[in-house]
Amino acid sequence: MTTTATTVPTTTPTMTPAYGLTPTRILRSEWHKLWTVRSTWFTLLTAAALVLGVGILMGATYTSDGGDSDVDTVVLTLYGTQLGGIALAVLGILVTAGEYATGMVRASLTAVPRRLPVLWAKAAVYTATVFALSLATAVLTFLTAQVFLSDSDQAASLTDDGVLAAIAGNAAGVTLLGVIALGLGAGLRSVPGAIGAFVGGVLIVPEILGMLPYEAMDTAIRYFPTQAAGALGTATPMPGAASPGAALLALLLWAAAALAVPALLLKRRDV
Amino acid sequence: MILGLDAPTRGHATIDGRPYAGHRAPLTVVGALLEARSLHPGRSAYHHLMALAHTHGIPHTRVDRVLALTGLTHVARKRVKGFSLGMGQRLGIAAALLGDPATVVLDEPVNGLDPEGVLWIRTLLRSLAAEGRTVLVSSHLMSEMALTADHLIVIGKGRLLADTTVDELVRTSGGASVKVVTPEADRLRTLLRGARCTAEAPDTLLVTGLEAPEIGRTAAAHGLPLHELTPQAASLEQAFMDLTRDSVEYQGAPA
Repeated sequence: MTTTATTVPTTTPTMTPAYGLTPTRILRSEWHKLWTVRSTWFTLLTAAALVLGVGILMGATYTSDGGDSDVDTVVLTLYGTQLGGIALAVLGILVTAGEYATGMVRASLTAVPRRLPVLWAKAAVYTATVFALSLATAVLTFLTAQVFLSDSDQAASLTDDGVLAAIAGNAAGVTLLGVIALGLGAGLRSVPGAIGAFVGGVLIVPEILGMLPYEAMDTAIRYFPTQAAGALGTATPMPGAASPGAALLALLLWAAAALAVPALLLKRRDV
Repeated sequence: MILGLDAPTRGHATIDGRPYAGHRAPLTVVGALLEARSLHPGRSAYHHLMALAHTHGIPHTRVDRVLALTGLTHVARKRVKGFSLGMGQRLGIAAALLGDPATVVLDEPVNGLDPEGVLWIRTLLRSLAAEGRTVLVSSHLMSEMALTADHLIVIGKGRLLADTTVDELVRTSGGASVKVVTPEADRLRTLLRGARCTAEAPDTLLVTGLEAPEIGRTAAAHGLPLHELTPQAASLEQAFMDLTRDSVEYQGAPA
């Protein structure tokens, strides 16, 4: 379309002095949006149920001489995070790409025409919600699984060295993976496209690259999102994995990049 | 483009001297009816409006008010998925009015509305304008525009074709004509030189370029009997067609 300068004359019939955009209000709006659709409840409850269910299963079926003795206690009890994480990633994608699928994005960006605050608010609300839920689920799952493991060689308590840090790391890891999914949704603007990109690009590609017989590749893969998230969630450092600090930094950079690219696109593209 | 949803290839749009995105409270500056289904179908009407209201600190009392204004109060808690086209349209208008805006932009507002809804829109647009707001409506329904609009802007192929009032457009289009029924159609036709006559039937002429009294006088002076002499205002539709004939993108060839 071609247009010349169009000036819409306006008068001010009524005074509405208190109305106006603020970052807090945009956060409030995104918070409201998140909790007023069923998919949020569905994905969050699914994620929590998967983590808890797999945790109980691991605890109940564990035998001390079954060959899993060398597995990290926290990793063992929170095995379900890998499944639950997919539900959380889907939620992240629905939060962003879902708005394009429904057309809601036109209303959102009409209310906040500077656009970027909407993306930041979405990421912030998602991060806070998913981290809080993941942390609570991880603590509950660990404690429940330990009920079954109390007599085994995997017996541990929250106060044991590194356990609480690993549980928090597990929650941070799965949350940041979800933020990457949210960013993919914002950039690709398609729910199935972003789910495909997340499963393929984030979950599968590092596994394939890991099979390549190059030393340098093994080192690089430690800092890929899923491997870094895994390293964050271990109570005792594993050989051949990144240190928790380096893993967290790597994940934060991945998440920042996953938001920066769609932020640039959001500013430039038509809705 | 006014709202900044699409970027123009050239030029820019400002409202009150500033681009839409430059305003601190955009919803109070322009309220726009977006294309239908600019919402999440799983959210209720109330929550959809509330989510938008939160961005500006607009209280829930205002949300209730626009719901009442658009007649949606009794379905406010229902999920939008089940809404008819007309109800969706009403919700879109409710969203446009949320910020009590000084300018209202409505694209095809009567789409999907039942006759009662069309009447309601007409009254609503009039009352919004009467409150001192600028109301911009785009529509392809010429008869609807003729009833509601004060000022018309006609755009074809991205070019401005007319910027005028309804009356003015109809008058200048030269469409106004006089219907004359007379058994002496052929004789009258030769007498009315300087006017354009088209024969509608053997005894009926459509005369443009002459006023009815003049035609009557001419007929009387030559003793021609007239059975009917009726001035006919051109419709806005006809005027529009005349104006845009050369700039229609998709023109059907005459059969």
